[in-house]
Amino acid sequence: MTKKRLYLELENCIGCRSCLAACTQCGGHEERNRNYVYDVNPLVNRQTMPLMCLHCVNPACARSCPAQAIQIHETGAVLSALVEKCIGCQNCTIACPYGIPKFDTEQNLMYKCDLCIDRTKDGIPPMCASVCPSNTLQWLTDEEIENKKQQFNLDNGKWVTSMALEGETNVKVNLPGILQGVTKLF
Amino acid sequence: MQAKAAVNEKPVHSINNAFASKFAKSMFLSVCGLFILSFIGTRMFTHVDLNLYGYMVGTIVFLGGFFYRFIAWGERPPTKIMIKKGIKLLFRKSTPQTTVEHLATYRFIWNRGIYRWTQHLLIGWGCILACCVTFPLVFGWMYFTMDDNGMYNIILFGLQIMTVPANGIIANLSYNALNITAVMVIAGVCMVLYRRFKNMQARAEQKFMYDFLPLIMLLLVSITGLALTFLNMFMDGEGQPAMSLIHQWTVIITLIYLPFGKLAHIPFRPMSVFAKNYREHYGEQSMKKCKVCETEFVSTEQSNDVVDVLHVNDIQFEMEEGFHLAELCLPCRRKYRIAQFSGFPTHEVKVKEANQNAKG
Repeated sequence: MTKKRLYLELENCIGCRSCLAACTQCGGHEERNRNYVYDVNPLVNRQTMPLMCLHCVNPACARSCPAQAIQIHETGAVLSALVEKCIGCQNCTIACPYGIPKFDTEQNLMYKCDLCIDRTKDGIPPMCASVCPSNTLQWLTDEEIENKKQQFNLDNGKWVTSMALEGETNVKVNLPGILQGVTKLF
Repeated sequence: MQAKAAVNEKPVHSINNAFASKFAKSMFLSVCGLFILSFIGTRMFTHVDLNLYGYMVGTIVFLGGFFYRFIAWGERPPTKIMIKKGIKLLFRKSTPQTTVEHLATYRFIWNRGIYRWTQHLLIGWGCILACCVTFPLVFGWMYFTMDDNGMYNIILFGLQIMTVPANGIIANLSYNALNITAVMVIAGVCMVLYRRFKNMQARAEQKFMYDFLPLIMLLLVSITGLALTFLNMFMDGEGQPAMSLIHQWTVIITLIYLPFGKLAHIPFRPMSVFAKNYREHYGEQSMKKCKVCETEFVSTEQSNDVVDVLHVNDIQFEMEEGFHLAELCLPCRRKYRIAQFSGFPTHEVKVKEANQNAKG
């Protein structure tokens, strides 16, 4: 089985929020979604973009957890807090560069995207990617992502993604060609 | 350079220098402590129950694993900060209430579901009560004597604390304490197993080694323990010696496993009281304002601590705009990321985030 990754093509997002709804239905998510969809310029146009855990290779949330409650799966997914270990200090929410972890005060428990680990560990795409109608969220092999990279090469030797993230992540993101002035061919 | 400085330093006469490591020190002190307590408890080793010596050896092996695991854990930068500040803030007005809610009544588990709370209460209190009976018996801190026929003396740490009739309520509760806790644990474990077999969400995530092994061990301990009573009462002690060894084996395996698996949360859980105190205390002192929207979202102390911990881990989140990412509130941090992706400063648009909860 070739390893696949979550790959985001942000500009495709149409703001339908299917990914949020799908997230609530994942095993262990207890009907609460763990991802986000944002309006880029809410008072002017309708461009939206999804935001979810990017599964950092060196995750700040796990580094800052005093309880070792955030484990990293062998597939590279940064898992949600172990319910019996999380002590509710919320260090992870402060440390995360993308503001992803959510915290339930009543249950004294942090929860975050675990890349639907029960699915992705067997090569099945995560809930969000399997429902996305606009190909914003895709589940691709490294080779396929490499092909995408070449398709969107910006002529400056850089794949734009690398400039917008704080470190290496397991989820790959592509920057919107529209806003970069690059015409995209579907 | 460092070596030079070390030579010039005056030798410090500290008790810490007497040991090769923290581990050696902790082990030495706790074994000494157990020895002294047993010495007092057994009135100079005159009342040792040698039938239980296997548990004594097991406990000392357990301590080895326990210190190995927890010293390594305590060395992690965030853990170190939490423990240090937690101990400093231990004597707060709210500490007793927090402790009871987190460690005795498990209020936060109640909020996760009444079924889960019931199973956890049964297993948790079953184990705690069983430990409160077993360990004093193993180390001779508690034993029974009989002066008058039909009257038991309960001796705790060498002091006679009460004399009870041998067929009275207290005496019967003491004889059956471990049977009662065994029934509690068996009921709790059965509830857990039922949930783990039936609940789709649990089935998606659970692993045999992490989630089932501790349950199976607890079940084995409880069943073999009850079997001891059964063999004594109904089988005239037939097979009791063999069963007692099997029971001993299950308890010792569970003890050795404890620091490394799911059960590690038992000795470790008091940290949640530290965390609550930490958040409450520093939250009252001063709150950090988000650098973009100026809402207060976390205590200044915690914000600084997290930034420090990230620096120790060589994670730098200082932005060109002149703030550290940990200085933005969560919605602003997410919008800032969208801004990084799109090139448009989304975080500066004064619109509250909306429609994020998939409720239509």
